[in-house]
Amino acid sequence: MIYLLFGIVALISCYTARHYWFTLNRLFGFQRHPYIDIDTADWPPVTVLVAAHNEERVIADILAALMEVSYPAEKLVVVPVNDRSTDGTRAIIDRFAEQHPGRIRPFHRESGKPGKPAALKDAMQIVKTEVVLIFDADYIPGQGLIKQLVAPFFDPEVGGVMGRVVPLNVGVNLLTRLLDLERAGGYQVDQQARMNLRLVPQHGGTVAGVRVSALREVGGWNDNSLTEDTDLTYRLLLAGWKTVYQNRSECYEEVPETWPVRVRQIMRWAKGHNQALVTYGFRILLGKNYATLRERIDGFLLLGVYIMAPLTLIGWLLALAVFYQGIAPLHGAVALLAFTAYATTGNFAAFFEIAAAARLDHTRQRIRLLPFLVLGFSVSIFSVSSSVVSQVAAALKGTQLQWHKTERFRTSS
Amino acid sequence: MNPPTAALVLVLLAGTLFVLPLLPAIGELRLQRDAKPLDIIQQHAGEIKHFAHGFREYIEPLLPALEQCVQAGTNASGKLPGGEKYLLLGRPVDPDFEFPTEKQCCPVIVAAGTDTFFPSGLTFAKEVYAAGQLTGGRRNTYRAVFGEKGLLLERGCKVLRWAHAAEKLEAQGDCELYGRISSDQEIQLSAGCFFQRLHAPRIIAGERIPSPVVDFHSQAQAPKVTAARRLFEQDVDIRPGDVIAGDVVTRGKLRIRAGARIFGSVKSNGATVLEEGVWVMGSVISAGPMRIGRRCRIGGLLIAEHEMAIDADSQCGTPDQPTTVSAPTITLAPGATIFGTLWAREKGHVVERL
Repeated sequence: MIYLLFGIVALISCYTARHYWFTLNRLFGFQRHPYIDIDTADWPPVTVLVAAHNEERVIADILAALMEVSYPAEKLVVVPVNDRSTDGTRAIIDRFAEQHPGRIRPFHRESGKPGKPAALKDAMQIVKTEVVLIFDADYIPGQGLIKQLVAPFFDPEVGGVMGRVVPLNVGVNLLTRLLDLERAGGYQVDQQARMNLRLVPQHGGTVAGVRVSALREVGGWNDNSLTEDTDLTYRLLLAGWKTVYQNRSECYEEVPETWPVRVRQIMRWAKGHNQALVTYGFRILLGKNYATLRERIDGFLLLGVYIMAPLTLIGWLLALAVFYQGIAPLHGAVALLAFTAYATTGNFAAFFEIAAAARLDHTRQRIRLLPFLVLGFSVSIFSVSSSVVSQVAAALKGTQLQWHKTERFRTSS
Repeated sequence: MNPPTAALVLVLLAGTLFVLPLLPAIGELRLQRDAKPLDIIQQHAGEIKHFAHGFREYIEPLLPALEQCVQAGTNASGKLPGGEKYLLLGRPVDPDFEFPTEKQCCPVIVAAGTDTFFPSGLTFAKEVYAAGQLTGGRRNTYRAVFGEKGLLLERGCKVLRWAHAAEKLEAQGDCELYGRISSDQEIQLSAGCFFQRLHAPRIIAGERIPSPVVDFHSQAQAPKVTAARRLFEQDVDIRPGDVIAGDVVTRGKLRIRAGARIFGSVKSNGATVLEEGVWVMGSVISAGPMRIGRRCRIGGLLIAEHEMAIDADSQCGTPDQPTTVSAPTITLAPGATIFGTLWAREKGHVVERL
């Protein structure tokens, strides 16, 4: 029991050190933005896939925004992927397609496997370009975003690209404000540090792009995965393709406004991530592949992020158990556990990463909310742990994991 | 202190310590002082001529008055609706003309309606507009300059924010060009010039060297691409005169020997060297330093994460297919030509020889 506790504390300390390394790198290290200055080029044809399942509240906003981008119009095709919607999504998409003939080509999916990965997989049948960008329907791209996301594909080593997600509905309630901080830490510090350090920036599946030849080389979208983006990141990495992060390619999104929606979202992320851990964990760390040593280590640690939640809980339980068993002295290990636990879990962003992100974003007042993050942390750690338990139970029963769409809150389009 | 009181004090103390950091948080939650989305760039795409176009619109109301000055051959001064002072020059500046100055600095917007010459050693703290060809005297400093025709910056001039010329923009030796410099025709920089961000259909370092422009797309000898990408985990050395179809990616250094032809793009994670006369139809990307030899031809982008040097008579992009050349520091030798954008994020300069 003691050795298990020591093992957990060592693992958690390892993650804490990793997060400190990232934070210090963002504050003081060399910052890599190699593709951000590309503004003149022979821009390639691009398809923008907009995944939409019952998105009547938000779909018009993104389609209108995409019609205003600065990318050459003759080289940009927008494909709204209407995945079995039962609300007014189809009518809105068709109206836009009529208003912009040739520029918006709807893909209406009437049946088939539910979920975004399956919908994207089907939509790839009509993609004729080498570069595909993916947006969820609640995003609002700015005018220069498409060029910024396409620019890295001039690098023949790049298979995927990821932009920064910025919450739009920040001021709704405490949850949206905490998610705003969490996103800032996750992107501004964690993702950019992994880009700086040539580790494994993660494909996020939205505000993102993929090279079609690379996607086909690694087998296309995996419709069995709950997080097709994480799955894609690792398959690209194993095949020698890089995923790059563009911190200045920012796009507004809508974050969950209620705790149940947030809990469902993070549980889906955790399940999908753990799926990827089981599938790729061993292969990335020890298998024969094109990843560098530092990519192997970071890639493995990144896959383990969500499994740290139940491990942290187990660590606390073990600490209590050894205390009541009268095993002493373990003050050092327990103190270390208490100190590091909070720096490990969460949506990839420890509290000091969030503080650093707020500083880098030049936002002064929102940092005061930092103590409330313990609330988000507590919800996350129990939700993620619960999802791990249910995932193991589902695996034992042989039940298939289900895709749950995140509910939207925007009042009108 | 009896035990119950001690326990109460302890609980109160612990409670206070717990609540203390929450006070600013509760305050922010109630007052919502920073509850807005992060301000991200939504409305423009970082266009290099953004400020130049903005100034052109800003000065538009002055142009009828400037035209009247030109017709009458007089100068005039006044204030714009926003309170900004201006000086309209309706005739070429005489050698003994005195600009209004405060502490050796001209503090007003200057608009010249004719071809004109500015005397040496002046500092223009506000924008300068030139309807005709403007020749700026030696060691002048400009905040920003807009030329409807050509701009000639004589030796030692400085531009602090931006400059735009509809026709040729020429900077003589030792000019320092900070910020955004653009032309609708051509930019020519002499040896000793410092630059950051340039954009023009043609950017030339030093004197123009008459040499043919390669049309990569009409290369009859282009081989058929058989492999989409070659990935190497070690250093790569491409032999002289080799012809390669497809992309080349190396995790180490890359050296392409003289006269080799690559019908694709190349990426190196170490130092990249292109020897004399190499052609790359696609992009050249390097995570390390990059050196482009003499008479090379690059069809696509040129991106280096560290320093980049481009030797004499090399060309990046073509008139029909402009491109971007970008690195933190860029050194150009005379005769190096870029069609499109040249962006040295920290420091770019033109030297006599590499």
